[in-house]
Amino acid sequence: MRERMSRRQVLGIGGALGLVGLGGLSSAAALSRRPASTGAVLRSAVPLPPAFVVPLPIPSVLSGADIEIVQREVTAEILPGVPTRLWTYGGTFPGPTIESRRGHAVTVAHRNELPVPTVVHLHGGRTPAESDGYPTDLVLPAGWGHVGHVGHGMHDPRAVTSEVTREYRFPLDQRATMLWYHDHRMDFTAPAVWRGLAGMHIVRDSSEESLGLPSGARELPLMIADRAFASDGSLAYPSIDPTLQMQPGVQEPYIAGVLGDVILVNGAPWPVSEVDAARYRLRILNASNARHYDLEAVLDDGRRLDLVQIGADQGLLRAPVVHRNLPIAPAERYDVILDLAQVSIGSRVRIVNRLGSGRTRDVMAFSVVRKAADSSRVPDVLSDDLPEWQRSEAVRVRDFSFRAGQMGDGHGWLIGGQPFAPDRTDVTTRLGDVEIWRLVADVHHPVHLHLVGFRVLSRGGHAPLPHDAGLKDTVSLRPGESAEIITRFDGYRGRYLFHCHNAEHEDMGMMANLEIT
Amino acid sequence: MVSGWVLRGVVSAHLVAVFGQPVFAGVYLSGDFDGLRMHAVGADIVTSLGYLQVIAAAVVWVRLRQLWPFVASLGVVVAETVQYFAGQDGALWLHLPLGVMTVAAVVVLFIGVWRQPVVRREVEHA
Repeated sequence: MRERMSRRQVLGIGGALGLVGLGGLSSAAALSRRPASTGAVLRSAVPLPPAFVVPLPIPSVLSGADIEIVQREVTAEILPGVPTRLWTYGGTFPGPTIESRRGHAVTVAHRNELPVPTVVHLHGGRTPAESDGYPTDLVLPAGWGHVGHVGHGMHDPRAVTSEVTREYRFPLDQRATMLWYHDHRMDFTAPAVWRGLAGMHIVRDSSEESLGLPSGARELPLMIADRAFASDGSLAYPSIDPTLQMQPGVQEPYIAGVLGDVILVNGAPWPVSEVDAARYRLRILNASNARHYDLEAVLDDGRRLDLVQIGADQGLLRAPVVHRNLPIAPAERYDVILDLAQVSIGSRVRIVNRLGSGRTRDVMAFSVVRKAADSSRVPDVLSDDLPEWQRSEAVRVRDFSFRAGQMGDGHGWLIGGQPFAPDRTDVTTRLGDVEIWRLVADVHHPVHLHLVGFRVLSRGGHAPLPHDAGLKDTVSLRPGESAEIITRFDGYRGRYLFHCHNAEHEDMGMMANLEIT
Repeated sequence: MVSGWVLRGVVSAHLVAVFGQPVFAGVYLSGDFDGLRMHAVGADIVTSLGYLQVIAAAVVWVRLRQLWPFVASLGVVVAETVQYFAGQDGALWLHLPLGVMTVAAVVVLFIGVWRQPVVRREVEHA
């Protein structure tokens, strides 16, 4: 017969195990990011302005069939009294908002006067491959020739480069929605967008206009982006090569993503907008490299206003969806109605980020300054043209993992275990095929498909979340989360991309080729 | 006697099931979407076995006058229930360490029930 443990021993050992367990769990609670976040914060080295003082700017508007944009470096004042060097589309950050109509083709001639090559991608655009801004289809600045392709490690025989200017042709044969255009250069997208290469592009159509939604001054495009400022007023960014010419990548602590400590809306820090006591249509874009937001509208007395979602990345929903708070990942857009009619004159509605802390909790504010008539409405049915693909229509199901891994000698981000290579076709599909893609993430990965919109079929093995409604082009996966999406690959044949829209992940390998034949 | 053997059986099954959970989680995070379903089914099985174990341990407590298997099983079941919801909510900061601890706890219980003779305490000395 074996020796029995004494009661004392049992209590002692049990107590010790219990203590170790408790210690482990409390360290997990103390050390972990709750809520989870992916990326590291870069702190500004200049004094930051108070929130809700700088007025909200609205970017200038360009329209017409032929548009010219000069990409150039300017000095602008983002923080009051602090000059900041920016890379811009047309001299401003954000760049001009392009307004166009569904089915009316637009040609945008981009002239590159920046010191590096650029590539323009219209995010969410149903665009022929030659104008989709493939990362190696560089627009070289004048005199770049002798520098050659240094820094763009992999040779891509299919690349079509241009000298100084390139005309991008956008047929815009797609649902009315808000798209955005930004730099997409191989290996250097994140720092180029950070320096200012981003702008909005709105596509309208008559059926949307017939709904009676708030419009004109009561429709506000809002580009939310976080940045950090160095002591000399420049935008701080932890590039390995600050010239953005040779060596791609960011310093080791920032490989999960670069988060700024200043929240800009339309290029202004924590701005305030003076508004009527009326309904507003907010066309929200998260143009941040890595920061996620969970937005809510809060009155100064703590009451929250509903955020009524009417549209997703790819246009109007079938019916409005009411949110108390609305998560938005990098590159996602939400079309939201904020009804300020019942807000008393003189009060303030703050848009806050529930995922932020300290100053990054604030985003912007609306100051309700006057009563006004409001003839706008939000119909119960917004659209009836959303594609309804059935699971049974899918000819293929593909699985992709989005996770950290080894890339060359360093850390990178992989899709299906592989870092991006321009000359490797990862997915080949036939024009018109319906496919289901099952995406699994290790940390936060906002996954974006070029060319097509998709529906979210499930998230984490369950029904999609309320904000997954409608037609999307970017789906935000949280740590350990998965989603099933369904789409039809139609529009154009050619070489496209799908990738993580955490811009740092994208630059560090998390991109793959999608060939439509 | 029988109750002691039932408890040993349930604890053994519980051990096997709980070892499957990190395996399925690994399969899932490797990008295999079905791994999540396996992990979810596994969670149902593990939790169910946990509750069965509490019942079996309660019987052992009454019949064999052994209290510790019941207390320990109750602790494991509480942990597994928290674990279940932490997993569903994506609270990985809790789900991962608690998962490791739950597996360790089931291992300790397994060793305990197999070391302990399946006899009534007082009877032994009567």
